[in-house]
Amino acid sequence: MEPWNEIARKTLKEGDGSQKIQRRQTLGGGVVRGGIVQRCPHQRPARPSLAALGQNALPQHHTRPGTGRVMTPRPSMCHTSSLQTPSDKAQALQISGSDLLSLARSLLQAWVDPLVVLSDSAYTLPHPAHNSISNKIQELQEHSKILGDGLDVLSSKMGPEAQTLSLLPYTGNDIGQDRISKLINFHFLMSCFRRDSHKIDSFLKVLRCRAAKMQPEMC
Amino acid sequence: MRGHNMTVCARMRRDLGLALLLLLSAAVESDGMSPPGKPVFLGCRSPEKETFTCWWEPGSGGGLPTTHRLYYEREKLEGTHECPDYHSAGKNSCFFDKDHTSIWVDYYLTVVASNALGNATSGHFKMDVMEIVKPNAPENVTLQVMKREDNPYLHVRWEHPHNTDTKSGWVTIKYELRVKHRNNNEWKEYTSGTQTQFNLYNINPGEMYVVQVRCRLDHGSWSEWSNSTSVKTFNYPQNDKPFWILVSALSTVPFLTAMCILVIKRKYVKKVLLPPVPGPKIRGIDVQLLKRGRSEDVSNALIINQGFPSVPAWKDEIEDYLIVSDDVLLPDPHRKKKSLTVAAGFHLNLEIQCKESLGQRDWEKAEERKNGIDTFPPQLPTQKQLCPNVTFVHAEATDQRWPIHDAAAESTVQLLAPTGYVDIQRHKSMQEEADGNEMDYTRVNDGNILILQKDKFPGCMDVQRQEENIPEDYSRVKEVDGDNKVLLQRQSFSADSSCGEKGTPYTDCTNKKPINPHVPGPSKVELIGSGYVDTIY
Repeated sequence: MEPWNEIARKTLKEGDGSQKIQRRQTLGGGVVRGGIVQRCPHQRPARPSLAALGQNALPQHHTRPGTGRVMTPRPSMCHTSSLQTPSDKAQALQISGSDLLSLARSLLQAWVDPLVVLSDSAYTLPHPAHNSISNKIQELQEHSKILGDGLDVLSSKMGPEAQTLSLLPYTGNDIGQDRISKLINFHFLMSCFRRDSHKIDSFLKVLRCRAAKMQPEMC
Repeated sequence: MRGHNMTVCARMRRDLGLALLLLLSAAVESDGMSPPGKPVFLGCRSPEKETFTCWWEPGSGGGLPTTHRLYYEREKLEGTHECPDYHSAGKNSCFFDKDHTSIWVDYYLTVVASNALGNATSGHFKMDVMEIVKPNAPENVTLQVMKREDNPYLHVRWEHPHNTDTKSGWVTIKYELRVKHRNNNEWKEYTSGTQTQFNLYNINPGEMYVVQVRCRLDHGSWSEWSNSTSVKTFNYPQNDKPFWILVSALSTVPFLTAMCILVIKRKYVKKVLLPPVPGPKIRGIDVQLLKRGRSEDVSNALIINQGFPSVPAWKDEIEDYLIVSDDVLLPDPHRKKKSLTVAAGFHLNLEIQCKESLGQRDWEKAEERKNGIDTFPPQLPTQKQLCPNVTFVHAEATDQRWPIHDAAAESTVQLLAPTGYVDIQRHKSMQEEADGNEMDYTRVNDGNILILQKDKFPGCMDVQRQEENIPEDYSRVKEVDGDNKVLLQRQSFSADSSCGEKGTPYTDCTNKKPINPHVPGPSKVELIGSGYVDTIY
């Protein structure tokens, strides 16, 4: 079984991926009122691409963790797993806007370096579609940058609480030497990235809906 | 012998037992009694990102009552746990409610089927709630044909699936719809975004349309399509159209015909509709002449005007002059004199020019008294000539003296000055001569004298003075005859009974003797005003 082929094929599913990548747009300025940003939220992108990129890409794993033939890294080993994030709706709605923004920015910041690693290794990935993958990674980097800049502007208007960043350094500098390790590690990083992008998407949408009280179409 | 029989019996019993055993075991195996087969996960689904359900497929039954159990492990959660709810979602399912649902964490699920004979375990099923989000279909899809002038459109409305939260931003719902004709199989898809309504404009009348809607949360999976909703659009009201087309076509033909006729006969039409209006034109006046502008010509042109219609005298306002003179030195009517033409309405001093020599003098004197002559100095009498006394006609018109020109044949005259009056002068010295010459106060038809009335009368008439209290200068009018004749009462005077009849012109005899009141004949004098005729010295 070649799960990697499957992953790549689904990863490059243009219909979902490209459109969503483009939705990562810059945030405009906003008015801070009571710690909540007004007026901007409608410009906030969903974090589509990253989340959707991997959504269909990762097949269901049927191997028991730790017992399969291949040592599949567990998601708890993502470098961002130490960040405390809400795990359900109730928790998420209790968090303040500033904290939500802070979380989003931290996550985004945490992926700057890993994306570089991914970008470098995608080109040499032992996969037939490594070129497309490489392109996609570059798109992801660009959009991440844009989104990060926008969030920085937003946080500067929200007050000091929003400015706090949690550092989540990425220590891995290599995805492996042999083919299998490369593919596995690549896949693992992509799945971590997908989850984190999904988190950022959700946090920002909650923030947006909260800020646009008079505009139900924002929710 | 006996030993041999026993051996055969035992053997037979042994065979029989074996056969039975075989039969039994065979029977048991044919019922499917076995440990359960391995169940298979069908999948999991979260309709609103708050709960989720997983389904599995049991393996082969094994013939024995089998129970299935789902166990799961979760990231950031210690231990193995069993499914909290096997029943809410139906058979072979496990429902995780809100308390048991976490997102952005991996779940590892297993199902264990067990029966009397054994267990069977499915493989691990790893999932994250964020990956399995698939909402229910939108609800209450309604279709309406909206009539907007001549462009009807379809208005589609729906509601979000009832279990999704649209208020907090935890999920963002996006919609899609698709449309097709009833008989067609081709769907046309449209994206509606987050709106729960949509307008379809490209519809044809008289067709049945079918619409379906679906949705998804954030970037999860699309829901199933909603149930078909259909509606039939109206037909065009076609009954009226052909009728009106026919009417307009039929009415165009006569209209065009009429237009053609009008165009062809436009001159005639023009004549009928816009009859030519005669411009103002004065007979005898040449517009071109006026334009050229030589004053003499102009004046002549204006004066010489034939055929003035007779204007009934405004009796109340007009004071016509009567030429009265007891001076017989009236020019011979037969003499050719210059005649004057006077246009009505012109203010003028008409002077009679008799002989040239006299005329000059007369003119001179006349000139001295251009404006409304009242008196006349008795200078003329000294002349004793045939010239009549200067008579002035004072009209309301301008002071301008009209040039006199020869008009031998012209009859002229009418003096129609509204208030023309003629001085009557008295010439004592001319009294003697009054016998002789009688002034012929005829119309200028004769070419002589300017006279007031139009009739001709040969003679003159003497003024008759009355003995009553009439001022010396006045003569009483006896009667009015007709339109323009006034009969004056004669004064008795010495000699002149030769004055002829008619006489508008009456002579004021300077004779101061009482005059017989008899009148030789009806003398006609124009009656003007109060019955008195001024006599003016």
